[in-house]
Amino acid sequence: MEFKTVLTTCPYCGCGCGLLLEVLDGKVIGTLPSKTSPVNEGKLCIKGWSVHEFIHHPARLTHPLVRKENELKEASWEEALDLTVRRLREIREKYGPESIGVLTSAKCTNEENYLLQKFTRAVLGTNNIDHCARL
Amino acid sequence: MSQKIKEQVKQLLADRKIKGFLGLREENGHVMPYLFCDPQELDSLSVGDWKKPGDARYPLNQILIQLAMAYPDETFAVLVRGCDERGLRELFKWKQLEEGKVIPIGMGCPDELAKACECEKPFPDCQIDGPKGKGAPSQRISKIEAMALEERFQYWLKEFNRCIKCYGCRNICPMCFCNECSLEEELLVEKGDIPPDNPTFHLVRAMHMVGRCIDCGLCEEACPAEIPLRILYKKITEVVAEEFGYKTGYSIEEKSPLNLIEVK
Amino acid sequence: MAKKRLTILQKLLEFSGIHPERLRMRWVSSAEAAEFVHEITEFVETIRKLGPNPLKERVAA
Repeated sequence: MEFKTVLTTCPYCGCGCGLLLEVLDGKVIGTLPSKTSPVNEGKLCIKGWSVHEFIHHPARLTHPLVRKENELKEASWEEALDLTVRRLREIREKYGPESIGVLTSAKCTNEENYLLQKFTRAVLGTNNIDHCARL
Repeated sequence: MSQKIKEQVKQLLADRKIKGFLGLREENGHVMPYLFCDPQELDSLSVGDWKKPGDARYPLNQILIQLAMAYPDETFAVLVRGCDERGLRELFKWKQLEEGKVIPIGMGCPDELAKACECEKPFPDCQIDGPKGKGAPSQRISKIEAMALEERFQYWLKEFNRCIKCYGCRNICPMCFCNECSLEEELLVEKGDIPPDNPTFHLVRAMHMVGRCIDCGLCEEACPAEIPLRILYKKITEVVAEEFGYKTGYSIEEKSPLNLIEVK
Repeated sequence: MAKKRLTILQKLLEFSGIHPERLRMRWVSSAEAAEFVHEITEFVETIRKLGPNPLKERVAA
């Protein structure tokens, strides 16, 4: 049996509030504000309080999904990536790079978001990138 | 400080009387809750005094309920201050924790902290370590009662107007354990309303704190808008003491006036 | 149980700046029609004297 709290930073807005994830036997069961963090001094907004909820959420994607016959079906990474590359190329050629938009997420790491914007701008050739926290 | 606590816990672990001790740990300059299962880890034990006495207190009872739910057959020891002990007594009566499975390790609070918390009894009966602070009465309630009715109303309206509905007060409360909270009920509290129904939202919370609030002060510390919530809850506690002679957390047997249905 | 809650609520409302007489609790059985009418009439008078509820403007806002 193991219970510990792990200090981390809230992934949402730019404030960077310190929070403690309550971890029981390897599973995150709750969040507490960090009282010793100078940014938030033991206080959190509702987004920070519910940060732990998405970690083990049953609705999380665990497998690539491809739409076949109007239904999302499990596929391999190769199949999903091949389809994505092919279709993005086709769309960009036919309609131009500005016809593509990229939606990322504040739940991703900074590094993942950096990669995605680099990809959108340098590879796809458009500035059309945004995410749920609009940052 | 905390030497006696370390010794007591070491003994309990050595005698295998407990599965673990729920306390606080200091790590990389931060204080956070931790379950000590190995006596050697106790070197990093913290009692929640970071820069000032009691400024890194956490709702350990709340975590204990989670542990007890996952491991109902195990016994745990837990660090308690005066308020935490009051909380435990109520949680036993509300059947959220089993008395036989919890060993409180008592610690007192210094005068400075007692005064800041306006705490009536800043030390637990099971105290083995820490100072025995002097109880400090509340002064903030009388300030409100000195105001006329209209002035009071405007005061509270102004305070609650800053509420951002973060639910921090409810989330951090060690006595809030309802699976379905009425403050989240869409039919009662409209979605997207900021500040939430002023003053009803907070009056509802205050009513739910009747016979429940142990005056630990964590709610006010967790409020990002610095709303003086404790004045409300302290008033509620005062009313319950006057009307029903019941003081939350002082009795091991006597239940809160709202925790029993009289059959005549 | 209701009596206990309402006693506490009345004190809480007063502390929050709402006149305690805006809240009233009476037991009236369905067979006591006259009593019921008397009670309501009297209550309406009390409220009229107190004036509009300060919470009203909050709801409209």
